[in-house]
Amino acid sequence: MTGDSPRVAHAVHRRKGESAGLLAAALLAAPVLVGLAYVIAASLGVAGAGHTSHPSVARVARVLGERSTWESVLLTLGVATSSTALAVIGAVVVAVAFQSHARSDRIGRALAALPLPIPHLVAGVLGVWLLGQSGIAARVAFALGLVARPAEMPPLIYDRLGVGLVLTLAWKEMAFLAIVSSALLATRGAAAEEAARTLGASPWETFRRVTWPLLWRGLAPAVVTVFVFVAGNYEVAALLAPSDPLPLPLLVAQRATDPDLARHGDAYVASVLLLVIASAAVTAHEWVRARWEPFVP
Amino acid sequence: MTAAPLPAHGAGAGARAWRLALLALLALSSIGPMLLLALWSVSGAWFFPAVLPHTVTLVAWRSAIRAQSLASALGTSTILAIGTAILACIVALPFGQLLARLAGWRRHVGAAAAFLPVAAPPLALGTGLQVAALALGLGGTLPGVLLAHLVPAVGYLSLLFLGTFTLLDARPAEVARTLGASPWQVWWRVTLPQLRRPIAEAAAIGFLVSWTQFALTLVVGAGAVRTLPLEVFAYVQAGEDRVAAVGALLLILPPALAVSALRWAALRTTVISA
Repeated sequence: MTGDSPRVAHAVHRRKGESAGLLAAALLAAPVLVGLAYVIAASLGVAGAGHTSHPSVARVARVLGERSTWESVLLTLGVATSSTALAVIGAVVVAVAFQSHARSDRIGRALAALPLPIPHLVAGVLGVWLLGQSGIAARVAFALGLVARPAEMPPLIYDRLGVGLVLTLAWKEMAFLAIVSSALLATRGAAAEEAARTLGASPWETFRRVTWPLLWRGLAPAVVTVFVFVAGNYEVAALLAPSDPLPLPLLVAQRATDPDLARHGDAYVASVLLLVIASAAVTAHEWVRARWEPFVP
Repeated sequence: MTAAPLPAHGAGAGARAWRLALLALLALSSIGPMLLLALWSVSGAWFFPAVLPHTVTLVAWRSAIRAQSLASALGTSTILAIGTAILACIVALPFGQLLARLAGWRRHVGAAAAFLPVAAPPLALGTGLQVAALALGLGGTLPGVLLAHLVPAVGYLSLLFLGTFTLLDARPAEVARTLGASPWQVWWRVTLPQLRRPIAEAAAIGFLVSWTQFALTLVVGAGAVRTLPLEVFAYVQAGEDRVAAVGALLLILPPALAVSALRWAALRTTVISA
């Protein structure tokens, strides 16, 4: 027995552990990757209903050549970006305004976290009842003398810009981001901010130059997660989104159930687009984590 | 030069008023919608422009109980959520432990692989899973939907256990091994008790992933497996808002309890460790 053998044994053990870890990773990713392979094959006409043995890009080219497809992509990205941005702003305001151990601050943080357990579907239902043209917002506007009948209320749901959809998703996702932001501020302590204030920085300067640069690095993975959830969400969109253009998840459902049977396969192409957006976000998520996680102020 | 005294947090009448306004806005946006839901479930006639219902009635609750569709959906959702919580914990615990052994770029590949089923849009994921379920003869069945719910749940929980095992204090297990404990004894008597809280959290999250699932159930269940979210959606589409409100309240209750329990457990653990 040589003196090296424990080290060799350790290296072998480690390599075994790494292979097992990579196998676990492969198994975890398999359902999505197999699903992706299937929808790509079906987009090319070699899988799914009415498939042939000859792949063809005709369907992909037709769907990608349609204006409505790109309007859907734009709407999906626009809604996801604006609702995520609104949720981030709300969450950061809450986290910064209520960061001490004072009772009012704890109440503020608890209130912001309250919508966390509300399922997306229920958030969508609430969106319909609050923001619809005869919803609670319209009734309050009537009470304030701003509108005289429902038709005068600006349409916030089923509207082309997806305003109601954006507001509902932002409200729903703000709770999660507020919890993450508050946790980040709590673990980081207030020393750097106090130093900045002592040196004469205004509250805004302190936020811009000290709080925000420290906060956004920790918040970035959560922001990517929210973006990808919002972009792929079906039920809130089904309740609140416009019918023209359709958000991508609704486009998938609509094409899959199109009265024109020849269009059913288009759903696969729209699914590929959705999965591409999600995969890009997952890559961004890991890149952000790899780049910023070791950052310790 | 002397440093200006640090203003107390939130000092000044302007700052105080601003914070109070923010607090009121938060209360309105967080509690208001829940109250609206409760009010809607007991409202009678409630037409524009009334801000409050004209009459209050329990008719929606009664018809929700009588119709049995909500009760049966509640049962289906509960079975699926409990099944998902248990099975996802069993699968994800070893997955998380294995992922935690990875280092460097492999660690990031492992985390990305676990995040993929979490991030995959449910409708797109469902399209692939539906084909798998049909191939297994499980399309439109409860076991098929359970398998579909397990995909994102195992992803979530693997990420959670990856974090747990990365931070886990390995010394108690090492001490037990040094004292002659077998690997099984180490796992059963040392590691598992250390993991009690993460497992409870994971079970709660696994439950919620299934409980709130919509698109995966719709696609893989092919309309034959009716869970609570699907029923609530159907009631909203049919314009039966009051019954939908009852269903939505039933839908919120378990997540609210689970989150409160987790927060309470976290608070309790923090107090003890402090």
